[in-house]
Amino acid sequence: MTVFHFFNCAILTFGPHAVYYSATPLSEYDTLGTSVKAALVYLGTALVKLVCLATFLKVSETDNFDPYQELLKALIGFIDVAGLYFALTQLTHRNISQNHKFQAVGLGWAFADSVLHRLAPLWVGARGLEFTWDYLLQGLEANANLVLSISLAALGSLMWLRKNKPKTLIPIIYACAGIVATMPSITSYLRRGLGWQFPKVVGFELFTSLVMAFISWQLFSACQRPSA
Amino acid sequence: MAHRKARERDMLDSVYSMLALVFILVACVELCDAATVVDVYRLIQYDISGVPFGSRLASLNHHAGSLHFSPGADLSRTVVMIPVRELNISFVTEYVSRKHPLGGMLFLLPEIFRLENGGGGKDVREKEVVKNVLLELEKLLVHAKLPYPVYFAFENDEIDAVLDDVKKNDATGQPATATTGGYKLVIPIAEPKKVASPTITNIQGWLQGLKADGDANQLPTIAIVASYDTFGAAPALSVGSDSNGSGVVALLEVARLFSLLYSNPKTRGRYNILFGLTSGGPYNYNGTHKWLRSFDQRLRESIDYAICLNSVGSWNNELWIHVSKPPENAYIKQIFEGFTNVAEELGFKVGLKHKKINISNPRVAWEHEQFSRLRVTAATLSELSAAPELLESTGGLLDSRHFVDETSFIRSVQLVAESLARHIYGYQGKNIQIFADNSSLAVNPSYIRSWLDLLSQTPRVAPFISKNDPFIMALKKELADHTDEVIMQHEVLDGMFTFYDSTKASLNIYQVASVTFDLLLLLVLGSYLIVLFSFLVITTRGLDDLISLFRRPPSRKVKTA
Repeated sequence: MTVFHFFNCAILTFGPHAVYYSATPLSEYDTLGTSVKAALVYLGTALVKLVCLATFLKVSETDNFDPYQELLKALIGFIDVAGLYFALTQLTHRNISQNHKFQAVGLGWAFADSVLHRLAPLWVGARGLEFTWDYLLQGLEANANLVLSISLAALGSLMWLRKNKPKTLIPIIYACAGIVATMPSITSYLRRGLGWQFPKVVGFELFTSLVMAFISWQLFSACQRPSA
Repeated sequence: MAHRKARERDMLDSVYSMLALVFILVACVELCDAATVVDVYRLIQYDISGVPFGSRLASLNHHAGSLHFSPGADLSRTVVMIPVRELNISFVTEYVSRKHPLGGMLFLLPEIFRLENGGGGKDVREKEVVKNVLLELEKLLVHAKLPYPVYFAFENDEIDAVLDDVKKNDATGQPATATTGGYKLVIPIAEPKKVASPTITNIQGWLQGLKADGDANQLPTIAIVASYDTFGAAPALSVGSDSNGSGVVALLEVARLFSLLYSNPKTRGRYNILFGLTSGGPYNYNGTHKWLRSFDQRLRESIDYAICLNSVGSWNNELWIHVSKPPENAYIKQIFEGFTNVAEELGFKVGLKHKKINISNPRVAWEHEQFSRLRVTAATLSELSAAPELLESTGGLLDSRHFVDETSFIRSVQLVAESLARHIYGYQGKNIQIFADNSSLAVNPSYIRSWLDLLSQTPRVAPFISKNDPFIMALKKELADHTDEVIMQHEVLDGMFTFYDSTKASLNIYQVASVTFDLLLLLVLGSYLIVLFSFLVITTRGLDDLISLFRRPPSRKVKTA
């Protein structure tokens, strides 16, 4: 309701990205280019996913959980992972340490995701007279998404960029990466299959994103010890 | 070179058109984002000789309030939502008479009154409760001048939920304003404009009687007249099933029966029958007046008598015949006797009421008075025992389909048809039933029912019906089916009454949050971002970096020193 509310929701949705960039050493090392390139890769990935979804998915009338459709969506979701791989490994980055590279890529990835999925509904909906909590919840979801993207990028960099990893941790890394990559399917199952309300789903997303961030931080520091 | 420029121009054009489309989409989506959209019907707005009555405004943009507000609260920017079921008429009377400033009124009618709900036995009891309240309310609103918008709406689940919420908010003692949130009612509609030259349409049908060879004189005529238009507090809801839908349907049924008789020359009577469906009834029978003036002298003199029908659909055991000529008059006696005889046979009473006409008084209470002023014998058959006041008993909010009782209505139709037939064929006093039940000339209940249903779903306030309204065309066609010759007369309603348009609108109900909520949210988000910023700086660069952010200017001074 009104432009004030739109402004509030916008700073909730996009503020953390800007704050993350300026607060961490990313700004000192001027990694903006990396973030922008990652955002562009996300755009390309989204386009490919759209084409695949349109080709392979049936339009369902009802809103309940169809396991085959969801499986298909999850498989197509792995294109995300491929895109992230491309962004982390194939793009030529300047001499940035691995530590900052995954953060920059994750940030650019999450920012592009927020803009693409949340800016249009915000612009159209939040400026009207009617007040709903939806847009604030969407902003919180964007925050959870930021944390998840960065942890996925961290796990991705561990998987593909670090050569010497302790043997015991490798399956854990792959398992965590798998969980984070299938987060969209899990949330859609919660919303449709179990019928959770939107606030509950957002709470779950925030909680899991913090947990996964903590786990990937531990894994990252654990893998860093041998080389350090 | 030219090709490239043309292509560029094409690209630019397509880009501009895409941008325009996007802007249009954005604008469109903005308009329809209300939680609830409800159809509402405005209180009538009219002037009598320049004196304004009714609700003078149409557009609405205020907060919603209920009747549970704290006394002394300022309601000039609040729309009071009043469910008619819980209405205390004294509140409305007080507000109207003391001219308290108010943002608007929204009356919620029970769902039973919806036009589409044709019948429902169990809900009739519910109607009785609201009946008296509605009658008083309508009378009060129609004769008052209200400088704020007044609307009627039907209750449904969404509006009930909104009302409950508003009541809860009001109970806490905080009136809804911009800073405390609540619900906002918006009706985006233009200022109401005068209806220029409101037309009234009279429809007449003529059944020719049997002229014997060598009969040079004109046959005598009997006229049956009913006015078909209505007037009520909410013109979009004024269907007037009894006043005067019953009169119209009775006229049509009598026309059907007599057309059956007159189609065969052996049973054609020696009277012409003139059927008249007039408009302008609530406004001192203006249409009847203009219709009669359009007759030529010979026709007027050939009218033996005229029977006007006014509300014959919901009576118990007595009908009234109202006359303006003294009851001792021979013609009146003859008519009254004819009716009484038939009524006795049918098992009810008919009474006679005499009301003298005052030529200097412009008020015409009954339709027969317009005939009497031109010295034509006439009488009105009605269930009302007393003459209604101006704009009273003209088909208001209460007068819907349930109001008409079919059994008594069929008896009225039988009364009129039988009495007329006995007069035409000369069977006065004889016990012969021309339109007996179970004969081919019996009164047809399904015909009556279908026409009553149609009338109960058609609001018929004359200034808002155009010349070519489908309803008028339907009446014309029906009369043409039963009579030989149908003539339509279009006139302009007398200058004394002026009407304003905008009778129907869409109400948008928005749930709004208060300004304090927005400011609070801004504070919370600001602090969240600051906390996030500090947290990230501390974890990635260390606490010293955070402190150094605030201590930069002094350190520079230290350096230069």
